[in-house]
Amino acid sequence: MEDDYFSIDAILAENQKIGCRFKIDIPDMGHVGGGGERDITTSNTLQLPIWMVYTVVLSDWADMIMPPAFGSKVRNALNAEPCSVRLAGLVGAGGLWYGFGRTIMEMLDEKREMSILLTNTFRKRLVEVIDQAQHFAALGPAGGVGPAGDSAQSFREGLDGTERELFVLAQEGSKRMKRWYEEGEKARR
Amino acid sequence: MSLPPVLRASVTPPELELIACQELVEIIPLIPMEKTAFIAGAYGPLRPPHRARIPIWMALNLKQKKKCHIIAPDWLSVEYLEAKIKDETTQTQFTELPFHFAEISRVLLDGATDDLQNPDKLRTLLQDLREARQAKARAGLQNLEHSSLRLSNLSAMEINEIRPFFIQAMAVLKQLHVPPK
Repeated sequence: MEDDYFSIDAILAENQKIGCRFKIDIPDMGHVGGGGERDITTSNTLQLPIWMVYTVVLSDWADMIMPPAFGSKVRNALNAEPCSVRLAGLVGAGGLWYGFGRTIMEMLDEKREMSILLTNTFRKRLVEVIDQAQHFAALGPAGGVGPAGDSAQSFREGLDGTERELFVLAQEGSKRMKRWYEEGEKARR
Repeated sequence: MSLPPVLRASVTPPELELIACQELVEIIPLIPMEKTAFIAGAYGPLRPPHRARIPIWMALNLKQKKKCHIIAPDWLSVEYLEAKIKDETTQTQFTELPFHFAEISRVLLDGATDDLQNPDKLRTLLQDLREARQAKARAGLQNLEHSSLRLSNLSAMEINEIRPFFIQAMAVLKQLHVPPK
């Protein structure tokens, strides 16, 4: 999620398309949106890849439309209960919701609001992520069913890539501790 | 780096145990020994029945050969730990404990069980203490900031346990943070 040119995460986070509403006519460029139109006309809306959006928006040829993953519907849901939103579903499988959000944030004039939304969501979900990771570490290699069925499982399935990474880290750490404590018990017997 | 990912973030519990075993502990030797030089320093002389202070690894080794009794540190007693658990559950801060208490208590409980009073009770108390402290660390997670984190009196083992994901989580928060204008 950093600015590093070679960061795989940064590249993956940009694997998204953003809707843009054009302000000007551009002849013979209709193919960038993938449609059959020959020209781009004013107030046409096209789905463009992020790398192109930078140029198009900064040159003031088009306005960016806030992607649905950060639309008002999602915002309201996040404000109500961050843990019940399935972030992975918003950006596709293996998607990086936070990374995508950060990219969008960079293009906004008013960055602060977006930053607060992302930060709060992350912080509130983090506790649940770690709790579940530790729970699964405690279960041992047999794995098994998660706590209290549906809501926890649906939360786990909805983790975005960044959170998955944290989940794995916390799980590894807990497992190591558990192994260490149990080794001692074995030695005693 | 050629280290596997699990080893990059932090040291392992056995490594911490090794470090903790450098700490000194009091013993009652059962054999005499002259002052002896080791890489870490010179220890001894051992003259039974006088007490001596030697590193834990050496004490455990002697203990294994039944050549000494280990005297448990003050904090490894039922009364002390019970008082600590009481502090731990009533205060919001972490209570002060030896930095390596988790490692030392485990190696002593494993290697010198018969020198401790009421080892089973100690084990239960240590477990309780650990859980109470874990619950606090978890609560601290909610207030995680992008720039700094203050958890006083956290022990080596606990820091090590939370280090990998706290670092990662703070890195993410740093990326998401925009300073107010």
